Amino acid sequence: MENVKAYIESGILELYVLGDISAEEKLQVEDMASKYPEIRAEITEIEKSMEFYAEEHAIEPPADLRQRVLGSLLVNLGDDNTFTKAVTHQDDDHIKRLPVTRVNNFYKYAFAACLTLLLISVYGLVNIYSKLQDSNTQLTALQTDKIRIANQVNLMDSQLDMYRDTTYKVLRLKGLPKTPSAAMILAWNSVSKKVMVDVQSVKLPKNDKQHQYQLWALVNGKPVDMGVFDAPQADTAGIKEMKTIASAQGFAVTLEPTGGSINPTMDQMVVIGQF
Amino acid sequence: MTPKRKISLSEEELILALRNREKIAVEALYDMYSASLFGVISRIITDEAIAEDVLQETFVKIWHSFSGYSSEKGRLFTWMVNIARNLAIDKVRSKDFKNQSKNHELENNVTFIDEQKNTVYKPELLGIRDLVSTLKPEQRSILDLVYFKGYTHVEAADELGVPLGTIKTRLRMGILQLRKHFNE
Repeated sequence: MENVKAYIESGILELYVLGDISAEEKLQVEDMASKYPEIRAEITEIEKSMEFYAEEHAIEPPADLRQRVLGSLLVNLGDDNTFTKAVTHQDDDHIKRLPVTRVNNFYKYAFAACLTLLLISVYGLVNIYSKLQDSNTQLTALQTDKIRIANQVNLMDSQLDMYRDTTYKVLRLKGLPKTPSAAMILAWNSVSKKVMVDVQSVKLPKNDKQHQYQLWALVNGKPVDMGVFDAPQADTAGIKEMKTIASAQGFAVTLEPTGGSINPTMDQMVVIGQF
Repeated sequence: MTPKRKISLSEEELILALRNREKIAVEALYDMYSASLFGVISRIITDEAIAEDVLQETFVKIWHSFSGYSSEKGRLFTWMVNIARNLAIDKVRSKDFKNQSKNHELENNVTFIDEQKNTVYKPELLGIRDLVSTLKPEQRSILDLVYFKGYTHVEAADELGVPLGTIKTRLRMGILQLRKHFNE
């Protein structure tokens, strides 16, 4: 406690009360005062003394000054009460005022950021939309393709059926000495009486507009009209169904005027085949 | 010209009322401390109108920065007198004031003012007058320089031409003398 006594006697506490002390020393004194009640008590005694000294030297200000000062304070008080009724001044003191310009800037930047995001989003949406359109187009194309291929497969299937089905009798018609390269394949169903021509197998010279090929069935040595057809375009596949016939020993094809003839022109025969 | 009814509260009551921003606190604050503060201000600023302005500024500042006061750090009056003294000294050192002031010798202000004004002595403090007269002149001059004029003790040592240690001792002895009488 010797230290405390020496500290008190150093005179620093008097300077502290008089406000004649550096900020650093001030903190030191306040630290000491909070640690040692004697120092706190000493400071209070010095303060009271100086307070009395000031009272002893007091000068009563002019009476009208009282109204002036109270007026200026109470105007503020009125404002405080009007505008901050629900809030005590202590709460006010804890609010750190943000500089107004910074608040403005914040909204400015926020708005700019929002705008930028919006533009990026719109750009992205447009991109994705066009990609979606592309995909849809591709999808449609693929579906069309798929349907086409499925049709083709069905066609091939029915074509194959012609060969698989045992009720069909397949007949290869061969060229005559005049037309050695001509050939075609047809099938006749003895149950359903149908006659089908395998279009892909038809190898006949091109006919002009005035002529068509006519298929004949040979029934008991007599030719029976089975309908007319054109030499197929290259690479066409499929089956051409001709007229039906109950029984036949063979088939032949002749070149006739368009629409066909009642009787075959024998010297215009291109292929023939018999069972 | 003295107000008929003066409001007086205990320091604790006053601090609480000030915290709560009560109207009565403003009046009590003025009635209890205006004369003491005006005494201090008037010893720094001799121009009466300017001294009155500074007193008003002092109360406005006390009112507005009251949240900065903590009773743990000292008595209310010590805090207020520092505000009053700093405002008065700032005023004296400001350009305006220097231009218009009539160049009173600072050291003579205390006696000058006491001669000029009807200094109010409270009856219960009559004993202090004797005390002040029993304060040694060198103790009193240092107290007045530092307390009333806002001199630092270093400036006071210069002004009075005595060593720093002596200044500190005289300050302490003077205040001890005041305490002795105050406690009697």
